[in-house]
Amino acid sequence: MDKVTFPGGVHPPANKWTADRAAETLPVPERLVVPMAQNLGAPAKPTVKKGDTVKRGSIVGEPDGFISAAIHAPTSGTVTGIERVVDSATGRMCDAVAIEPDGLDEWAEGTNEPRDWSKMTEDGIREAVAAAGVVGMGGATFPTHVKLAPPRGKSIDTIIINGAECEPFLTSDHRLMLERAADIVTGMRICMAATVARSGLIAVEDNKPDAIEAMRAAAGGFDNTCVRVLRTKYPQGAEKQLILACLGREVPTGGLPADVGVVVQNVGTAVAIAEAVTKRRPLTERIVTVSGDATTKPGNFRVRIGTPIQALLERAGVEEGFEKLILGGPLMGKAQFTTDLYVTKGTTGILVLRRAAIYEHGPCIRCGACIRQCPSYLNPSRLSGLGESFLDGNLDAIEAAVEIGLMDCILCGVCDYVCPARRRIVHLVEMLRAERQKVTMREREKERRAAAKLKREADKVAT
Amino acid sequence: MPPSPAQSETPAAADRLVVAHWPHLRAEDSTPKIMWSVVAALVPALVASGYFFGGRAYMHVALAVATAVVTEAVIQRLRKKPVTIGDGSAVVTGVLVAFCLPAQARWFVPMVAAFIAIAIAKHCFGGLGCNIWNPALVGRAFVHVSFPTDMNPSSWPVLQSGHFTANVGTVAGGVPEGVDAVTSASPLKFMKDIAGGWGGDVGETLTDKLPSLWDMFVGKVGGSIGETSALLLILGAIYLIYKGWVRWQIPLAYLATVAVGALVYAYWNLSVGPELMGRYVLYHLLGGGLMLGALYMATDMVTSPLTGRGMLIFGAGCGALTILIRLYGGYPEAVCYSILLMNTAVPLIDRWTQPRIFGHEK
Repeated sequence: MDKVTFPGGVHPPANKWTADRAAETLPVPERLVVPMAQNLGAPAKPTVKKGDTVKRGSIVGEPDGFISAAIHAPTSGTVTGIERVVDSATGRMCDAVAIEPDGLDEWAEGTNEPRDWSKMTEDGIREAVAAAGVVGMGGATFPTHVKLAPPRGKSIDTIIINGAECEPFLTSDHRLMLERAADIVTGMRICMAATVARSGLIAVEDNKPDAIEAMRAAAGGFDNTCVRVLRTKYPQGAEKQLILACLGREVPTGGLPADVGVVVQNVGTAVAIAEAVTKRRPLTERIVTVSGDATTKPGNFRVRIGTPIQALLERAGVEEGFEKLILGGPLMGKAQFTTDLYVTKGTTGILVLRRAAIYEHGPCIRCGACIRQCPSYLNPSRLSGLGESFLDGNLDAIEAAVEIGLMDCILCGVCDYVCPARRRIVHLVEMLRAERQKVTMREREKERRAAAKLKREADKVAT
Repeated sequence: MPPSPAQSETPAAADRLVVAHWPHLRAEDSTPKIMWSVVAALVPALVASGYFFGGRAYMHVALAVATAVVTEAVIQRLRKKPVTIGDGSAVVTGVLVAFCLPAQARWFVPMVAAFIAIAIAKHCFGGLGCNIWNPALVGRAFVHVSFPTDMNPSSWPVLQSGHFTANVGTVAGGVPEGVDAVTSASPLKFMKDIAGGWGGDVGETLTDKLPSLWDMFVGKVGGSIGETSALLLILGAIYLIYKGWVRWQIPLAYLATVAVGALVYAYWNLSVGPELMGRYVLYHLLGGGLMLGALYMATDMVTSPLTGRGMLIFGAGCGALTILIRLYGGYPEAVCYSILLMNTAVPLIDRWTQPRIFGHEK
């Protein structure tokens, strides 16, 4: 099979220093702090209070809304309180359940028991996945049970397991493919069963030949499953680009992968699904890559959710005086302003850089590089121009930007990466989107008020 | 401003942690790197200009560059903007504007051209990245109409092979000292004569009167300082195309359109054989400022389209205007005005050639 890819994209230096370091299981730390904001959508609501005893896998946070996921205690112990911590994905504050482990690490009743999933119904699988609090572990943290429930009228024919791991530095998915290949295939087959999909693809970039081999060996015995080799290119792991590369299908604007009959799950999510369904194990741990030039012992670490980032930095031999701490990869990771953070389900990696490169940005020189490389075929130059125009007071810039695809941007940062003028295009795009959101909210509020006024007047007439 | 509740509960930031929006990684290309690379690509042609036209060529380039840089710095000061003369863009403009002036132009001509290029064509429109027209060409167009005797191609020295000198140093009108022969026409004038039908026998003009094709290719002919050596201009452009800073679409479409136009004209209007027809096309390609224009002026990023398709349209438009002006216009050189006219059309071309957005129907 030929290697497949998508148009556009870039080739940043891979820097996968930790690819050959087996995931090392870290001991449960002395204190775990489990943030309640661990998924895209509404944060969970704490269900425990100070002094409660918990066991590994017992619920500490319940989902709050449709797009939300349950959160479980990562070990057994005592709740020492509900704290306010920084949500590393957004920089905002959120609730967190602090737990003092009792050292026994006992599983809660009803968890950690084998289960034969071959006779489970589709709804049964979704319920099991939801009960285990599984979310997208590639970093996007979208609740997995929602993804496994295709909208009415859409049928799924293919599950794609995303092992592209196109971000530089990150190797947690790579290690998972080498160490948990069989579980990944099981997770994929469960996804196929839950969505009644005929075929399953495992997509891996060609810079990981050992992972390709491992996945081929694991998937070999099953019908309708195969490994698809991708050309190494950023952002190959982006959902829409991955589907285009693997199947030649283009997700329509504003649509979901389900619109083209596909559900994509990250390899880490596949393992979490397998654990949840076949072993009744809620999601309480993950692999985190710790790398960057400020680490003396970079590596991959299997840690409990809620592990302090500082413990990982220490383990990786981070030297004092680093200037940048990024959760995620260097292209789409979030720079943090504090080290007082805790591992969540979406913590793919921690990048610690000795020096923060500060780029002076200049005016666009219309070189067109962003347009040539944009994987969404947008005109990032023009979008950023409209962003600046908005900052200068041109309120019409938002609508003009929407017309040229503001909402189609996947925020991958390829345009910024190639820009010789070092413009902050993604930042401006996100700002325009946020401003548009504000305008939409204001308009809805206006409509709501107008409707209420009409109703009052109608009531007056009626009486 | 009193701290809001949200701020007051935020933990103190760790020492010196730098926060920025992603991506945290940038490719190595930068505006200064691109601009200085263009300067580097022009250096071979610059060195050769002194060899062909004497020290006066260097003087023109130095005056134009100095004027461009000083003008940029002064205007940026006046506009209260950061002074960015280190980015090389003013230097590129200075070199290019000098390249389209003849060596015997008076000393202030390059200064006026460079001043107009930077002050009027670039900064009146907002500075780097905002100008509609190629600044160097606007500067050249300005001095072309203001100082016609300095710019008149019929008075440019045509240095016959074996007699060219390293010291062409006098103003327009007089015979420069040390020059053995000054003929009255540049190669393009002969081409104009052919198009006008008053040049006598076409075959004789093409084979005997015009300088040899080899001389035209290496640059041993009359003309502006930097435009004559196709060889060195192409070498520099290959480097820029290899680095991706000049896109192949514009030069290819430009040169191909001129070649096809010349060939069609020769086929219908000149009763000559295929070999002479080929020579006719080559003289058009190597004559005048076409190489300089197609490789360095039309490809200016700021004033050319953003997409590959747009570049092809733009290049073809430049080529069509050039050949039409050369054949039917009242004026032998056409590159400057062709590119300026097509610069004007760039916003329209960009609008036509927007790529289809992912997930959208065309």
